[in-house]
Formats: sequence, C-alpha cells, structure tokens
Amino acid sequence: MCFENLPVEFDEQGNARLKDGVKNPYDYQTRTPEEREARLKDLAGRNGQLVDIDYDPVTRVAGALAFHTTVDLEQGVVLDTNSMATLFRGYEVILRGRDPRDAAFISSRACGVCGGVHSTASALSIEMALGIRPPPLGIVVRNLLLSCEYLYDNPLHLFVLAGPDFSESLVRQTNPEIWDKAEGAATRHKDLHGYATIGAILHDLNPLTGKLYLEALQMTRVAREAYVLLGGKYPHPETIIPGGVTTFVDITVLNEFYMKMVKFFDYAKKCVGLWDDVFDFFLEADPRYLDCGRLDATMVDLGQWDHEDHYDATYANCNDWGVKRWSTPGVLVGGKLVTNRLTDINVGLEEFVEHSYYEQWEDYPFKTDPAGNPLSPNHPWNKTTIPRPGSQNWKERYSWATTPTWDRRTFEAGAYARVYLSAVSGKLPPSPFVESTGQSLRLRVARGEALPERTFEWSPPLVWNAFERNRARAYAVAFNLMVTMENLTRAMELVKAGETRVATPFEIPPEGHAIGVGFWGAGRGFLSHHCEIRDGLLANYQIVTPSTINACPRTPWGEPGPYERSVLNTTIVESNFKDDSDFQGIDILRAIRSFDPCMPCTTHVMVEGSDRVVTREVTTCACGID
Amino acid sequence: MSGNGETAPRDPGYRPVFPLDRGPIEEVHAFWLAGMSCDGCTIAAAGAQNPTVEQLMSARLPGLPKIVLHHPVLSVTAGKAFMKAHHAAREGTLGAPYVVLYEGSVADERIAGDLGGYWSAMGAAEAPDGSKQPIPTAHWLRDLAPGAAAVIAVGTCATWGGVPAAAGNVTGSMSVMDYLGKDYLSALGLPPINIPGCAPVGDNITETIAAVLMFLAGFGPLPEFDELGRPKWLFGETVHRRCVLAGNYEEGKFAQEYGERQCLVELGCWGPVVQCNIVSRGALGHAGGCMNTGGICIGCTMPGFPDAFAPFYKKPPGSTLSATLSRTTGSFVSYLRQFTQKSRNRTPNWARAQAVPSGWANVDGGSSIAERAVGGVYDYLRRRGTRFEAGSARQRALQAPSHRHLRSGQAEREGAE
Repeated sequence: MCFENLPVEFDEQGNARLKDGVKNPYDYQTRTPEEREARLKDLAGRNGQLVDIDYDPVTRVAGALAFHTTVDLEQGVVLDTNSMATLFRGYEVILRGRDPRDAAFISSRACGVCGGVHSTASALSIEMALGIRPPPLGIVVRNLLLSCEYLYDNPLHLFVLAGPDFSESLVRQTNPEIWDKAEGAATRHKDLHGYATIGAILHDLNPLTGKLYLEALQMTRVAREAYVLLGGKYPHPETIIPGGVTTFVDITVLNEFYMKMVKFFDYAKKCVGLWDDVFDFFLEADPRYLDCGRLDATMVDLGQWDHEDHYDATYANCNDWGVKRWSTPGVLVGGKLVTNRLTDINVGLEEFVEHSYYEQWEDYPFKTDPAGNPLSPNHPWNKTTIPRPGSQNWKERYSWATTPTWDRRTFEAGAYARVYLSAVSGKLPPSPFVESTGQSLRLRVARGEALPERTFEWSPPLVWNAFERNRARAYAVAFNLMVTMENLTRAMELVKAGETRVATPFEIPPEGHAIGVGFWGAGRGFLSHHCEIRDGLLANYQIVTPSTINACPRTPWGEPGPYERSVLNTTIVESNFKDDSDFQGIDILRAIRSFDPCMPCTTHVMVEGSDRVVTREVTTCACGID
Repeated sequence: MSGNGETAPRDPGYRPVFPLDRGPIEEVHAFWLAGMSCDGCTIAAAGAQNPTVEQLMSARLPGLPKIVLHHPVLSVTAGKAFMKAHHAAREGTLGAPYVVLYEGSVADERIAGDLGGYWSAMGAAEAPDGSKQPIPTAHWLRDLAPGAAAVIAVGTCATWGGVPAAAGNVTGSMSVMDYLGKDYLSALGLPPINIPGCAPVGDNITETIAAVLMFLAGFGPLPEFDELGRPKWLFGETVHRRCVLAGNYEEGKFAQEYGERQCLVELGCWGPVVQCNIVSRGALGHAGGCMNTGGICIGCTMPGFPDAFAPFYKKPPGSTLSATLSRTTGSFVSYLRQFTQKSRNRTPNWARAQAVPSGWANVDGGSSIAERAVGGVYDYLRRRGTRFEAGSARQRALQAPSHRHLRSGQAEREGAE
C-alpha cells in the first residue's frame, strides 16, 4: 500500500483501483488568496515590519529561476519563501502536430545542460507507443552515453556551480570564524586527494583561479569528448532515436571511449575524498549546518540505464524491466522506501497549475493507464499546456513551473535520488562494479594511474540536508563511472558475439491511437515524457523535469515545494554582516544550489526589519521550463 | 517578422569609429544574456579548447585583451554586485568597451506584456503600481545593443530563431537580427555577428570572439563574415565537402541501416547543402562530429532549422536525383578503383613473383591478361610527364655511387668463393 493520500488501493494481483464509495476521488482543497494574505499579515504582525531586499540575479545555476524569501536576520530564521521559474518557451505546444520521429530532436532542445536526456526519454516514450524494441547494443550504447555524460554534469555542479559557495573566498567573506577553523583542520582522506588541511582544499576551490575549479572544468571536457564519440555532438546528440541509436560502433570507438574513462578512475576517488572531507568539516564546525536545506528525504526516481536482456519498451512489463535497471526506480517517503514499481510512480503522478502561469485544462481523456490502473485528471497524459502570462503575484500565480506531486506530496528529484534509491532497494543486477546491499551502495573503483583500487560505500545519512545532497552527488560520480564500466563491458561482449545491430527499423502508422511514456532520468534526476500519438502525429506531449519538481510553486492546498520547504528549514549561520545591505544569504543559496537547480533562478530575500528585497539569480540549466 | 527592438535608420554620413583609432584595447566587458534558451550554448562554450573560456577571461593570451565576463552561470558574484555592470553599461557609465553575447531566441514580449506578464526575464524592476516585476531579457538586449562594440548571437536560436520559433510557437520567438532590425549597427558599425549551431561547436564560439578581439587589439587578421554575418572561415563550405563519409557518396555507396559506415544521405542526412564545419573540426577536442559517429545532419546551423528539415530521418527529396546520379557513375568509378587497389596491394617482389606469401589467407598473386593489359596502360599513363620510373636504368645509374663500397665487398666475397 504505497498511497496514503490518493484513494487508490490494490487487489490481490497488485493492480491498482480506486477505493469504493469515494465520491470525487481526485478532489482537493484550494487555499484561497485571502487565506494566504491573512497568514502573511499574521507573520507581519508577529514579527514587525517585513521588508524587501533584492538578490538579483542568483548566479551559478542554469536556466531561469527566481526565489523569494522572508528572513528574520536577528533570529536567523526564514519565515516565508516562494520559488519561481522565469522562462516559458512553449516546447509542449511546439511538439503537438509533429511527426513522432522528431520528438527526440525537438525535445532535446528543452535543456542543453545535461544533453541527450530528453532525446532518450522521448525515444523511450515513442518506443512504448509504437511497440519498438531496440536491439541489445542500441540499449547499451544509450546507457554509455547517458552515464558518461554525468561524469561531466556532476563534477560541473560540485566544483563550478556549488563549489564556490564552500571556497576560501566566500567562506572568509561570510563566516571568518569557519575559515579560521578550516585553516587548522586536518583532512581524513589525504591519500585520495593529497591535501593536508581543509583550508588548502577550500583555497583550491576558489572560482576561476583554484586548482580544483580549473581541473573540474577540464574533466568536464574529457567526459564530453567521450560522449561525442558515440553521440556526435554535445549537448544535443545526433544519434539517439526511437528504436536505439545510429552510432558506428567499432574497436576504435570503443577503445577511444575507454581511454577517456580511464582518466576518471582516480578522479572519481578524488571527488569522494574531497567532498567527504569538506562536508564533514562544515557539519562538525557548526551543527546548525545540519539544518541547511534540511528535508525529510521524500524523493521519487524513475531509475535509469536499461538492462538489454530485460527492457522491452512495453508498459505491461515496465515493473519487471524497471527494477532491472542499473539504477533502481522507487519512491522514498520520509526516508522509507514505499515502492519500486514504475506503474505506482506513474499512477501517483499529478501536475497542478494553480500557482503557475497556465490555465486549468478541461478534458479528462484517460481515466486509466493502458494496464487499467486509475489516473487522475491532473495526470500528464490528461494535461494540456495552456500558457497564460500575467503579472507576478505571490498570493496567486508566480511561476512558469507547474507543481508536480506524487500521492499529493511534493517530492525531491536529483542525482542523489538515484544513489539513495539504488542503495536502499537492494535490487541492482549483479555486477563486479556496483552492488546494492539494501542499506548501502558499494562502488568498486579500479586502479588508476596513481591510486590503487578502492571500494566506496554510501549509506543514507541520519539528517538529509544540503551537504548530504552534494555528498551523494560526489558519490554519484563514482556510481556513474561504474555504470559506464558495466555497460562498456557489455558493449564489448555484444560486439564479440556479433550482436552489432544498433537500431530497430520502424514505420509511423498513418492511422491509430496510442500513448507512451519515457521513464528516465536527467543529471538532476526524475525525467518523464508522456506522449499521445493519433493518426501519425503527436496529439499531446508532456514533459516533467527534475527542476520543475524541485522548484515548483506551492500545491493548491498550500504545501510549499522542495526548494521552498528546504529554505524554510534553513538556519542562518552567516555571521559577517551588519544589516540587510551586506547580507549575502549564503546559507539560503547553499540550500537552493544543493538541488543543482536546472534553471536560471532569482532569489528574493525579504529581510525582516529592513526595507528592501535581496534578489539573486541562481542558474544551472533550463530544462525545468518547458 | 518585425522585431520590437528596432533602431532608427542610419544617418547617411555615419562612419564607424574603431577602438584601433584610439589605440589598442586592453580590457573588454562581455555580457552574456540568455533569452529563450536551453543554456546549451553556454555549455558548448565551456567545452571549447581553442581557446578555453578560462583563457579568455584570465588575460593569459598575449595579443588578446582581457575579457571581464558577466555570465549568470559562471559568475562568482550574485545579486546587486552581479547586476551592477549591466546597469552601468545600460547607462553608459561602464568606462570600458563591451560586447553582448546573446544565447536563445528573443521572445515577443509584447504578447505576454499585453497580459501583464513576460516569457523570459532576468532581474526585477519596480512597476508603476509599486510591485516588483521581472525585466524581460529582450529588453536587456534592446538597451545594451546600441552601446555595444559588437552584438554576437550565439547558437541557432539567437542567430535565426531556432526551435522556440518553430511552427506553432506561442511566444512569437525570433532571432537577434529580426529583433534589432536591418538598420542596427553596433558602436563599431557592425550588424549582429551570427555563430549558428544547435548547439554550436564550442571552438567556433570562442574562436570567433578571440578573432574579433585579436583584430581589435591589432594582433590578428581581419575576420571575414558572409552575407548573413556568419564567420566565413567556419561556415563557407558545406559540411558534406569535408565529411569523412563523402567518399562513399562519389562511389554511390549509401547506408540503408543505422550503424552502417557509408554515406548517410538516404537515411536523412542534409549534409550536402548545410553550411557547417563539425565533421572536420570535431564537436569537442577534435572528437565526434555528427556524421563521423553515425549521426545524420539535420541542418541545425541553418536558418530553416527545424521546420525546413523535418521530419528528420527521412530522405531529403533532392537526394533522389543526386544519389541516383552518383550510384550510376559511382558504381563504375568504384569498379575501376577496386582494380587499381588490388595492384597497389602488391610489393614489387610479389608482383615479380606473382605470389603473395601471406599466412592470413590464400591471396591470389597472379594477374589475368586483362589485368596485365589494363595495368600496362595504367603504368604508362602514370609515367607520363615525369622522368621517374622505379628501378629504371637512369635511377640505377644515379644511385650507383652509393653502392660502390657494398659492391666491392660483394665482389671480394664472390672472388673468395
């Protein structure tokens, strides 16, 4: 029984159905603007005057995101938050009425940060709708592309986007007392990274000049060089199509790809060692950092990287092939695993637009999924994208992001969700490189040029916060590498066995009606593409991205989204400011950046007792916006 | 399509003033604006290696002015500090030349503005009613373009409109040149420079920036641009001309299945008519490049992208004629080539012995009468116009002095026997 809020139950065969006697099963309460206004007035009354400060824009995130918070600087607490996406391009509208073959190429352009994720999600969705099963090598090459690319994406975030927040230059400015401690603090993993003190690491994290910053930029290029050997270009690959890939696979390609991966054997170890040291130091230096971006570990992931022996592109078998993936799909509620079934995830998924710049749609064409499980009128297969730009109003509409929920809860998505769910599910197929124990994830990283073979083990932390998201992302570097190595081994085996077909040919039927869904992941986690094909054209296309999930505005019933909740829980540890004029909001920015926001984001911080809004733009990539 | 950032027609007496007239420039600010974008062009630029973005920004390249980059993704500063230079440039108080790099399409903000909203925004400003409202990115372009030394449109969305401007879009998206209009000229007298590609090759982005700046610094040659403002040295040729698979085309060899390493035209490749350099330059670090790896060209550098090339993975109509022609002539060319290739696969010794001592297979070392006859004509033609013939009497005579010592040793040995 994974659903607590939706009136959905299961029969003996595990099929979902609506509970009997519930009159309007998908009804919900909407909090009115007046109630919201009353709450703000109440806050103002209790805390005195609420005032505006602008952080404009928040940098080092990709895409377009703004963030509005109300802070009590004396108490060091955040009173209110709003997260907003500030970009609409209309991809879901542009995709309607197109040839289904083009969806992979058009939708790829939704995001240029983690390239190829949309192409693949789109290919999977068309494969399901039209019944196309790719050949084994096509599946394996797709895995290689989408695992080696995170060797660019995750280090980029750790060192270039989030890293500067932990660098000497920022820490000295915002928290001199922490810097003093860092200078004398010994590291625990000198054998992995060579640094004797935390201060030396923080120094080399300095943006644009620090050795670690520059090294990461260079490593992101190495990973992308590997990617383009198979994908042709980056960020938008030229070889991912429904039915497999169009890649030439031969010894040169496999060899050159392998030689790029070899360079990550030591780098993956270094990432784990460095960030373990940095985050352990911060959490020990001031326990209030435990609250930075703290949430209760409620996350959903669709899994990723299909097993070529199991993936058959059907919805009917998706629960079977789903759990054979090289990262396990699942739902975690408050740190507790409630399901690993893709149909449960799909059935519980809804999107709301009460606080977004969209009109509510009227039609409800799919009461059930193809397997007969009940679907909400707010499910992506039932949704129509109807933009309605309007002025920004915190009480009503304030974002171009929608509000996705699972079982009527907002939830987190991220690279860390792949690590977390794969660790606690205990369902990874046997592999010499990566193993799930059910409590932890074991990663055996091969001997590199300088460092011997090492086995790392990631286990869920007691408190889930900004530091742990970033730490899990550092382990994700090693996880990605191990998935790449597993699939490279498989590619070699397939070529040895003469299984060199890379794609299954197909035709678009000129008539007929079908739906499909691509369950996949992006650099930042959960990514789904729901399509409807009618008489040879795309009739509807809906994309749910991780940054929409994380950056979403409130639910209609008033529950804040993950960014919003995580910032509400954040304690202000920043110490080196006189008043709102030189307040950086570093703790709030660390909380938001720990999600690796996939859109340019602006953080508005209203500081209690002051008269301005601090606004900052936080950017990392654009796929949160359709 | 008409933009809403158009400038007034040029004064007929207008003459651009180059910074060279005032001495070489040492520092240039660069404002990177992202409109209706996916940030892919930023990512492409960050992958460039000739030069790298950190080289451009660190003033470590002699002959190149230092670039002070204001980029929302890479910036170290945030908030007020980050936006300060934007405002100074807009007000003309920056005190240094600047360029504007624009990524993404430009939305028609009039559509959203009529409803009190926006499509794409960066930063916020106070509205007449006192509330804070986002500033459309298009307005930043409108306000910064007139004072800029150059406006550089990066990527197909910015150069031509791209996917956000595809059929059925609701945002009225357009390119930078559509938005600024025909009469726009930068402070240096340049129309917008266009670096197309979705996403562009990263080196194409940084190389163009470096080329312009090296010229302005008096170090590099004048970079040339074509009639659409594309760097001519990058986009002057079709991608097919330098394609590694193009040799298959002339022999009439076309892949019919994905993964087959032959010309991809019949699978939907538009390379023969698309101006791009990705297969010769590689996508990143000289690796990859669409057709090098099996990907077809979908025309992503071209103004017609995507609608004029869709549906992708369907044979372009024009290829029916050209591929049939090349099949006809190509099959004959291919036959002749195989013939010559066989005789070039013989060492002089094997040719003399009419046998190939290979342990890998039974290789027929002999040649038929036809092969000998055609080979004779072929070799006759090969020797025409040159005095060279391998092992000829003249060559032996000219080499003889160098053989003197070895020959005397040989004579002694023969004498001793």
